[in-house]
Amino acid sequence: MSFLLPKLTSKKEVDQAIKSTAEKVLVLRFGRDEDPVCLQLDDILSKTSSDLSKMAAIYLVDVDQTPVYTHYFDISYIPSTVFFFNGQHMKVDYGSPDHTKFVGSFKTKQDFIDLVEVIYRGAMRGKLIVQSPIDPKNIPKYDLLYQDI
Amino acid sequence: MAPAQRCPLCRQTFFCGRGHVYSRKHQRQLKEALERLLPQVEAARKAIRAAQVERYVPEHERCCWCLCCGREVRKHLSHGNLTVLHGGLLEHLASPEHKKATNRFWWENKAEFQMKEKFLISSQDYARFKKSMVKGLDSYEEKEDEVIKEMAAQIREVEHSRRELVRSVLEPQAVPDPEEGSSALGSWKGTNSQVASASQQPSYLDLPPAPELDWMETGQPLTFIGHQDTPGIGNIHSGATPPWMVQDEEYSSGNQQIGPSYEEFLKEKEKQKLKKLPPDRVGANFDHNTSTSVGWLPSFGRVWNNGRRWQSRHQFKTEAAARSKQSHKEKKPNVS
Repeated sequence: MSFLLPKLTSKKEVDQAIKSTAEKVLVLRFGRDEDPVCLQLDDILSKTSSDLSKMAAIYLVDVDQTPVYTHYFDISYIPSTVFFFNGQHMKVDYGSPDHTKFVGSFKTKQDFIDLVEVIYRGAMRGKLIVQSPIDPKNIPKYDLLYQDI
Repeated sequence: MAPAQRCPLCRQTFFCGRGHVYSRKHQRQLKEALERLLPQVEAARKAIRAAQVERYVPEHERCCWCLCCGREVRKHLSHGNLTVLHGGLLEHLASPEHKKATNRFWWENKAEFQMKEKFLISSQDYARFKKSMVKGLDSYEEKEDEVIKEMAAQIREVEHSRRELVRSVLEPQAVPDPEEGSSALGSWKGTNSQVASASQQPSYLDLPPAPELDWMETGQPLTFIGHQDTPGIGNIHSGATPPWMVQDEEYSSGNQQIGPSYEEFLKEKEKQKLKKLPPDRVGANFDHNTSTSVGWLPSFGRVWNNGRRWQSRHQFKTEAAARSKQSHKEKKPNVS
């Protein structure tokens, strides 16, 4: 499934993707192609990418090839999905401890579509943080690793 | 109670049946109405003897309300350019239908019998009026002729005085001019019998050229910039092509098209779409096209940052520096 979505392999490519996506939500999936949860997520992403083509642009990023962003975005669990709009990072409150990214895979395609739509609408209204429409039952649970403790 | 009836004179509804007509109010209204009508009729009666004919003026369109017939009647009779004063009213008053209407009116409203005669004009009176009308027309025509003759005399006078003036101005000039002037004057005299103002125009034309010749010679001389005739190139008089129509040498016809190219048009379309988006959306002023440096990081509110979002980049850079220093330190003992 991951061969259907465009891949970014260096910091420069990621920068370019962030800068060039205009008036659309940029979805960056950080993970590894072989990881099972990543495969699930990639499946959902590729199946919905054509329907969301006017609202969102979806890219896959390998965490091993972009260590700068792995550190910058604090990616400790994979897959992690980060959302941008016009070069600005969009935060989403999923009911989980980390608002800056979505950790894990989505349960259904509709969850992902709803989430992208909510982010798009919030961005159009000028909001940098939005409320996630996904049912909290469907959000994967994880423990946030505390830093420097 | 009698059925409701409307009295047009009092402009009221009454229930007395035939009794209303004898009431004080009605009689008073009647008297006032007749008093209003009487002067008009008297003026018309006077006109029987001496009919006046005048030139038509829109005021002659006025109408008079005949109480008995209950309709408007033209006061003056007009035909073409002329009007006979009070002609219309007289005609109406002499007509048989008016007589019938007047009788009916007197009977219904129970007015005074003697008054009736005053509002009627007999047919003999009308015939008399017609005769005086003819006389009036003749006298009017004579008057008009007189007026026209007077106007002609006036115009002749004015022209004569002008001619005198021109003669006095032309005399000090050189010989050819007065000759020309006088020959023109001779032709004027021939056409003078007509009462037309066209002959006034040549006198206008002659006056200005005489003073013009004076100041043209005594003014500042103009700067001469050379004869502009190069033998090879034509000019406007010879009908050569104007300079702006000449094809440039660099211009290769067919390559250049006027107007924006297709890509530019598409870009314009995109810009139009952008304008329609909400202006306060996230990153509306994000510059998509400038080149990014190697060390550029996007605006990311990190998980463990201590300050505001725009400071997270700075914090990350310091952390990265600290981490690389640490890894350096770790490496060094290994190496050494």
